[in-house]
Amino acid sequence: MARKPRDFGTANAPFSLTSMMDMMTIILVFMIKNIDAEGQLITQAENLILPVSTSKIQPKEVSLSVTVDNEYVVVDNAKIIKTADVLAQEDILITSVDSVLKERREAEREFALRSNLPADEAGNIVVQIDKNIPYDAMYKVMATCGYSGYTNIAFAVMMKNGGEE
Amino acid sequence: MAKRIKVSQGMEEPDLLPAMGLFTILIPMLLSMTAFQKLAIVEVNLPERSMLELNGEPPPEPDQQTLSLSLAATKDYLVIGARGGFQPNVYFKEMWTFRCKSDAQLVTYSVEDVERTVSAGAGPKCKDGKEMDKEKYLYEIETIELWAIQKESEEDPGRILWALYSSQGENVPDSVYVDGNNAFYALPGEGDLGATPPPALTKPAAGTALATLDLNSARKLTADAARSNIVYPLSAYDVISKDLIQIHAQFIDLDDVNDIIIVADDNAQFDKIISLMDRAKAAGFSKVNLAKLGGA
Repeated sequence: MARKPRDFGTANAPFSLTSMMDMMTIILVFMIKNIDAEGQLITQAENLILPVSTSKIQPKEVSLSVTVDNEYVVVDNAKIIKTADVLAQEDILITSVDSVLKERREAEREFALRSNLPADEAGNIVVQIDKNIPYDAMYKVMATCGYSGYTNIAFAVMMKNGGEE
Repeated sequence: MAKRIKVSQGMEEPDLLPAMGLFTILIPMLLSMTAFQKLAIVEVNLPERSMLELNGEPPPEPDQQTLSLSLAATKDYLVIGARGGFQPNVYFKEMWTFRCKSDAQLVTYSVEDVERTVSAGAGPKCKDGKEMDKEKYLYEIETIELWAIQKESEEDPGRILWALYSSQGENVPDSVYVDGNNAFYALPGEGDLGATPPPALTKPAAGTALATLDLNSARKLTADAARSNIVYPLSAYDVISKDLIQIHAQFIDLDDVNDIIIVADDNAQFDKIISLMDRAKAAGFSKVNLAKLGGA
């Protein structure tokens, strides 16, 4: 009589989680493998669709980003000027963007000097442009970047087929 | 004795429930952070004389030792220029393929059709009859296709060229085939504007020798591949791609053989520029420059 409840208890308890743990561990490893460390680059919004390209070059380091969507030109998450205004202006140089970029470049130079790195190297910049933006706006943004000292320009694109072969 | 057994039983079954709880939180968190669509970058060289060109200075004289290759894109055609001369224009009809949010089906319209529908106050229609948002239809564009058209003269509306493509399903073209003489399997279509595929363009049977534009891609068509091939309007990008590959191979000895300047008009979408840059890079032109079409 004394044994019966204990037997009953042990028969109910071993609901083995070990196999479930194995599965979870495999999923976890897979997820960590797939995770993208370049968190800063991904600022996908509904109105910013990057074009698809066959390029396989991965962004090497975190650099300043300029985003052009249908509404605004955004430098490092701050709205600077309306895209429509960029299209309307005659000049190639976008002065408001230029002043922000120059400030950034100056800060980068100072930092480089203080940490004993060459300060006259060309600045790196990643330009994210919505695929429907006209060439005019893109050209003006590029020219402005170059004028402010950011001459290593890279366009952010989507890898074709999600990067799979 | 009985007690010892009990202790070892306790060791065998650690309490995994808290660990499970941890995993159940970790997995959705990682899932939300995973990027299934990978980002890449396309490097570009700055237009070196962008500031000088503002003054309307004439371009330097073409030099016999350089190729000075440029690729121009206007609203109607693509053209390759080198050493001050130009190849024949590759006329195209711009087509937008939308993937509808409502039914996830692909639907293709010409730009003129879309503009007409939108100016009439409606959005482009999906296959299930629903209209796309007329403010946001641009974001539903999946691909911009440039269908090459054959023109007899400047005024000729032209006829769409149809070509043989490999496909991976859904009637979406993958890569274009060329025959042994490096010519496309292409014929102009029939009917108004050549909108009907030409019946004379038949799909080659298995065993036919053909190639794609990639290097060393000559192959005998397998039965599987022959079945999945499709006849699709020839892309103007592919025409340009083929010419660029030829030019790069022909002038491989020149100093500036890897340089190309892509020139586009003000309204060309960024997507087109990136596609042209991709084609140029694939053909071996690693140093891509951008410039603006004059008169802007």
